[in-house]
Amino acid sequence: MTTNTTQAGKQPIIQLDGVAKMYRLNKKKPFLVHDAVQRLLGRGTSGEDFWAIRELSLSIQPGESLAVVGGNGAGKSTLLGLIAGTISPTCGRVTVSGRVGALLELGAGFHSDLTGRENVFLNASLLGLQREEAEEQFENIVTYSELRDFIDVPLRNYSSGMQVRLGFAVAIHIHPEILIMDEVMSVGDQSFQIKCSRSIRQFQEAGKTILFVSHSPGQVSQLCRRVIWLEHGRLKREGPTEEILAAYQQKSS
Amino acid sequence: MNGPHRPLTIDLTSDSRNLFREIWAYRFALWNLILKDFRIRYRNMSLGMIWSILNPLVMLGVLVVVFSYIRLTSRPDAHFAVFLLLGMIPFNFFSMTLPPSTMCILDNAALVKKVIFPRHILPVSVVLAQIIHVVIQFVLLAVFLAVSRVSPNLAWVWIPVLLVVELGVVLGFAFILSALNVYYRDTLYLVQSGLTILFWFTPIFYPLSVVKTSLKPWIYRVYLLNPLAGIIDSFRRVVLEGKAPEGLPLGISTGVAVLLLLLGWAIFSRKERHFADKI
Repeated sequence: MTTNTTQAGKQPIIQLDGVAKMYRLNKKKPFLVHDAVQRLLGRGTSGEDFWAIRELSLSIQPGESLAVVGGNGAGKSTLLGLIAGTISPTCGRVTVSGRVGALLELGAGFHSDLTGRENVFLNASLLGLQREEAEEQFENIVTYSELRDFIDVPLRNYSSGMQVRLGFAVAIHIHPEILIMDEVMSVGDQSFQIKCSRSIRQFQEAGKTILFVSHSPGQVSQLCRRVIWLEHGRLKREGPTEEILAAYQQKSS
Repeated sequence: MNGPHRPLTIDLTSDSRNLFREIWAYRFALWNLILKDFRIRYRNMSLGMIWSILNPLVMLGVLVVVFSYIRLTSRPDAHFAVFLLLGMIPFNFFSMTLPPSTMCILDNAALVKKVIFPRHILPVSVVLAQIIHVVIQFVLLAVFLAVSRVSPNLAWVWIPVLLVVELGVVLGFAFILSALNVYYRDTLYLVQSGLTILFWFTPIFYPLSVVKTSLKPWIYRVYLLNPLAGIIDSFRRVVLEGKAPEGLPLGISTGVAVLLLLLGWAIFSRKERHFADKI
């Protein structure tokens, strides 16, 4: 796995071929007995098809940082979910060769009745860490989050900012080869954001692949050289950051 | 920055996954889910774990009082509490595990939508977390055995075998019901009604021998399709009589357990990739 990442430029680390994702929108309550009867009568099920992603092909090289921009409902989160593997494509193929750290939501699975410490172990293990790795990283996580005094307090006594800090601290200590972030950097106070940016830059320097969604043009141009622009589930444009960002901002203003 | 690497990628859409390897790689997550399960269950209770003794004790008390007046069994009275407990422990494990495992995918919707891991560990963690209640109830049983002077015998080596069969039944149901509940949200109601019915069709407060003598042979076989029947009857023979389990009931139970486990595993593995879309 590690040797793959160092032979940059040849083999894409993420490859999407003609990927599409369809959701069936149930307008009515899913009354399944009714549906079954309808199907028996050959009338098809109720509901409308909604294509969140249509015919998308994309390849990302190891070590590349890529931002995804687009309006609400353009399919950004669906795209990240498809690459992270939490969403399965309706058609097409997604090939990912590397350990993915998907921060689709910070502190996913955090439980308010558990203490900070218990949540760190739960979250880290679900993100793929083994016991030894989690125990090894625990000190770093606590130090990074600056929450040492609260680590044995139930999470319900944390402010939302503190929860996010803890979630991010766990996430960057799982050492993925591919880091996928869905608007997770726009949270926390100023000093925390600076800390996030610094960590992400360290990731880039270590040759990791980063894919993220952001609504902050400043952040996008700071972190990456290539941007893809989604609109209605289609790849509208892709290219160098300045060019795409300029076009995107012109369109949305 | 060169952290530890585990060359395991999880692709829910792949048909050639090594699920056992994935689950093994996520054993620490499984362990943490089990811990979470009973931390959140007991942290805010004043009596905590005592409930898992108190509940069966109340039930036991009611059944002992009722059936001291109504004689359904030919068992000596000293053994009756033990006899009941040997029926209730397997049934309780079943009835206490199925509702939470039915709900486990929905209860962890945030995780299923946002984190990638083999979803199998969710129902498995719920089932394993309930084992503590079985252990506590076995302690209760040990007390009753001591009081009614039942001494250990060689046939007790069957006990782990019976527990494994029951674990298979429960896990099989947990896989089936948790997957089903993603698509049909009324599954929980079905389970609850099912458990109420099953209570009466399980030899808890009556012995299996009564069923055998009062039903036609083929209806008796249908009755044995309830896998708890064979398990409970075997428990009683082993613990109370020091005999090996009877072949037919335990054989049917084991067969049903294997079938449920295979069916549950197949259904869950097929449907797992669509869970995030449906919740």
